[in-house]
Amino acid sequence: MSTSDKTWNERLTGWLLDKKLLGRDVLVLFALTGWALAVPHWGSEFAVSMALTCLMYVALATSWTLFCGTTRYLSLATAAFFGIGAYFSAIYIEQLGWATVIVAGAGVAALVALVMGAAVLHLRGTYFAVLTFGMTELIRHAITYWEKQVTGTVGRVLTVAPERDTIYLTVLLLAVLAVATSIVIRRTRFGLALAGIGADEQRAQTLGVNTRWVKIGGFMLTAAFAGAVGAAMSVRWTYIDPSTVFNPFIGFQTVLIALIGGVATLWGPLIAAIVFSLLAETLRLQAPQLYLMTLGVLLILSVLYLPGGLASLRWETFRQWRDDTKAWWKELRRSDADKQKEALS
Amino acid sequence: MSAGAWFELIASGLITGAVYALVGLGLNLQYGLMRILNIAHGEFLMVGAFITWMAHSALGVSPLLMVPISFALLMALGVVVHRLTFRRLARTSPNVDIFEARGLMVAFGLMFLVQNFAQSVWGADLRGYDYLTDPVRVGGEGGAQFAGNKLLLLALSLLFSVGLIVLLKQTLLGKGVRALMQSPTGAQLVGIDTQRLHPLMFGVGLGLSGVAGCLLSMAYTITPAMGEPYTVTALIVITLGGFGSMGGALAGGLALGVIEAVGMHFTNPSLKSLLSYAVFIGVLLWKPNGLFNKRS
Amino acid sequence: MTLNRRTVVQALGTAAATTALPALAQGGAPVRIGYAMARTGPWSVGAQTSQEPNYLLWAEQVNAAGGLDVKGTKRRIELISSDDQSNIETCVRTYEKLMGSDKVDLVLPPWGSNANFAVAPLANRFQYPFLAPTALSRRLVEMKLPYFFLLLQQPKPMMDALVDMLKANGAKTVAVIYVDDLFGLENYAALKVALAGSGINIVEDKSYPLGVKDLSPVLRGFKDKNPDAFIGLTYPPDTILASRQAKEIGFNPKFFYASVGTAFQLYRNVMQAGAEGVLGMGSWNGKTSPGAKAYFDAHVKKFGAAKEPDRWASGATWAGLEILTAAVARVGLDRKAIRDYVAGNTHKTILGDVRFQGSENVGVPGTVGQWQKGEFEVVWPRNRATAPLNPNKPAWV
Repeated sequence: MSTSDKTWNERLTGWLLDKKLLGRDVLVLFALTGWALAVPHWGSEFAVSMALTCLMYVALATSWTLFCGTTRYLSLATAAFFGIGAYFSAIYIEQLGWATVIVAGAGVAALVALVMGAAVLHLRGTYFAVLTFGMTELIRHAITYWEKQVTGTVGRVLTVAPERDTIYLTVLLLAVLAVATSIVIRRTRFGLALAGIGADEQRAQTLGVNTRWVKIGGFMLTAAFAGAVGAAMSVRWTYIDPSTVFNPFIGFQTVLIALIGGVATLWGPLIAAIVFSLLAETLRLQAPQLYLMTLGVLLILSVLYLPGGLASLRWETFRQWRDDTKAWWKELRRSDADKQKEALS
Repeated sequence: MSAGAWFELIASGLITGAVYALVGLGLNLQYGLMRILNIAHGEFLMVGAFITWMAHSALGVSPLLMVPISFALLMALGVVVHRLTFRRLARTSPNVDIFEARGLMVAFGLMFLVQNFAQSVWGADLRGYDYLTDPVRVGGEGGAQFAGNKLLLLALSLLFSVGLIVLLKQTLLGKGVRALMQSPTGAQLVGIDTQRLHPLMFGVGLGLSGVAGCLLSMAYTITPAMGEPYTVTALIVITLGGFGSMGGALAGGLALGVIEAVGMHFTNPSLKSLLSYAVFIGVLLWKPNGLFNKRS
Repeated sequence: MTLNRRTVVQALGTAAATTALPALAQGGAPVRIGYAMARTGPWSVGAQTSQEPNYLLWAEQVNAAGGLDVKGTKRRIELISSDDQSNIETCVRTYEKLMGSDKVDLVLPPWGSNANFAVAPLANRFQYPFLAPTALSRRLVEMKLPYFFLLLQQPKPMMDALVDMLKANGAKTVAVIYVDDLFGLENYAALKVALAGSGINIVEDKSYPLGVKDLSPVLRGFKDKNPDAFIGLTYPPDTILASRQAKEIGFNPKFFYASVGTAFQLYRNVMQAGAEGVLGMGSWNGKTSPGAKAYFDAHVKKFGAAKEPDRWASGATWAGLEILTAAVARVGLDRKAIRDYVAGNTHKTILGDVRFQGSENVGVPGTVGQWQKGEFEVVWPRNRATAPLNPNKPAWV
């Protein structure tokens, strides 16, 4: 076995042996769920709304990271699946009832992901990202056109809406499910395959992983969660139209949160989702533009200096930054001294 | 449809297409040379439009004069941005794929930053000014009528686009850039200085975007959100023309403009976006190297 | 009376007491009125032209006069507002907070149909009356929410008025463009219904997506067909785009009608002399009533001549505030009573009589406005007109 093969294997098996971390992960999940469940009872209307937004992004960011973080195929199609779920919910909620519409919405989104994935998952990197963005816009325009020509309308009014608490519990369930799925999948063959594709796709293929179907499966999983969340959130807005639910910003914010939180980690996206929802609300009241600008700057800074995201922040990182800055300062001063020497000699 | 009407239709398609080509060329230069997919490209176009508007309304500077000024300003901005961000990325990324992915994310961040900065400074109101809006008749009676500024748009966009292509083909600098695009290691072996060329070319790309913005501000209303659709269109253009192919981007841009104009006339403007995206995805899937690229 | 110490003290005392009286009369706690408004994002153009300035002007005016009359007692208005960033979720969250947690006394609506769709059910749930001046949709009316009132004229009356006007002036052919949005679609549907049996033909109609960049191919096609009238069911950016591009290609129909945005001062700023003769959605100006003139002047005084109120939604916003003021003066801050008062009475406002049938304002008919010599006049129906219609729009300049 060559040295590079060994490193690849070592990294993968590291995951399998992380049994003690499994206990930690499950415990944290339980604690957070318990706290989230308490909010509707003790918290004000506003606290519930805040928590709802946090949970929505936890679900979206975690499920995104599940596939895109591990395989490093950056998908910008979250808004497409969200919108599909929302539309499904708007059209069928009267006939199907709440639970069915959520599950079915997730299912439809997954089907679309299947088709999309089969068509585009053989392309890598920027091609894939750009393509998923293009497809989101294509779906949005296609639905607008269809609605206009065939049904003679543009948006949909949701006449039936469940209780606020039902919506909250549904989104909470989706968030918990997303995190739980993430915890479980990391420890299965499927999860290993995903990580292997992210590390080195060709090698994974030669070692017998059916990369095509693993990728499609992961993509479908991401889509299902986004679709379910879309189906749940659309009732809060009463009226949905393509530009609201297929808003690319939903996709961008999800990606941003996942990236800043830490794309290869489990808790990173969750932490970032909570931090950013709170940050957004605070800044909104004082300086709304500042929030989005901050988001942009933080993303740039984190890609440049903290590629592992917030979750990879350790004491060593700070020490490394301090050392780097010292070295840079020394470099500057030394060149001054060198210049002086040259001038004298 | 009369011949005059056809002429007008195709010409207006070429006018919009010329701007698409200009923006696409800038993006292509950055991607082809440095594998930086700058999706914040349109935002810099918007900055070019706003500084032209500001100079015109506050200081009375002629927009024509602002064309080279916005090029210079945005080129300088480009060099600074590259130095602050992409240069470090190039140093710390283990391979090209990772660099590309990270570059995309940084461009993402830039998009948010620039667009919202513009909005906080200039507000969301629609702005605009009138410059050379008097119609010009071309081809006498039965011919076509265009606004003066639109013809200027066409002329200058083509000038800059062709100018860039000539620069790349004929000058030594251009040859260096093309060599770098073909083979980075080989080029460095023969002594071409990547360190200076990269920021310079990134700056040129942004400069072209700024010129496009300046030209657009003469004829259209400007808002902080105007950049994004142009980024998307530029992406479609470089996909059509082939990543890294300059002539392809020019041809692709003009073609896209004409297709859109004709399509809009015979069907519905609503279908225009649908068509553009369908074409985009179709080309990406079927001919990922672009329609005009010789190596496919 | 001799000027001795006693008199002086008495005089000073009376003076002091008199100045203290208004403060005493303003009676304790302020009236807390909450709202969310788009200060950033795509909705902000409309919101900051037609809605928020009016809220601010109203609060200032009322407070300067001693406060809001709450059944005899005057209390100061305290506005509690925040930016909704043109985002529905933020809007919903803000109103949930205002009505559910903060329990403000009254609320004012946000801008736009989308946001109002989202907050209308909340209005009902928390039982706060909403008088919405910038919401336009038959579907909102159909939701039959008792606490929600739409002040703006809905598509059917507006299109009926337009068609009546065209018919009365001998137009035979029209060309239509409409935006791919609820607004465009509903107005287009209403237009088609109104045109049926009117003797006017649609020679061509095209829809276009939000954010379109170029309409000249479409307008060129219209020019070829040479219709009597051009009808654009458009939003402000497209209104301006269509006007400018029509000018560029020399498209000069006798009637040129664009929808939202035509009534904004912005339109006149951009088109300048070219605005002359352009028709649009507008329902009032300073000549409509003395109250309207007073409002116009106060608005210009506070915000400057560069920020006139627009001649459509701004008027509706102010009318809504007038109704609210009258309601609170009459029945106090009991929100159910306010709702009943609003629903059950005919109100006198700067727009004339406002009367609600369900959620819809049926007191103000559909109207058409036209730019004439730098002012946006109401030209139809004749009994509300502030100036006669100019049936031959001059060529673009």
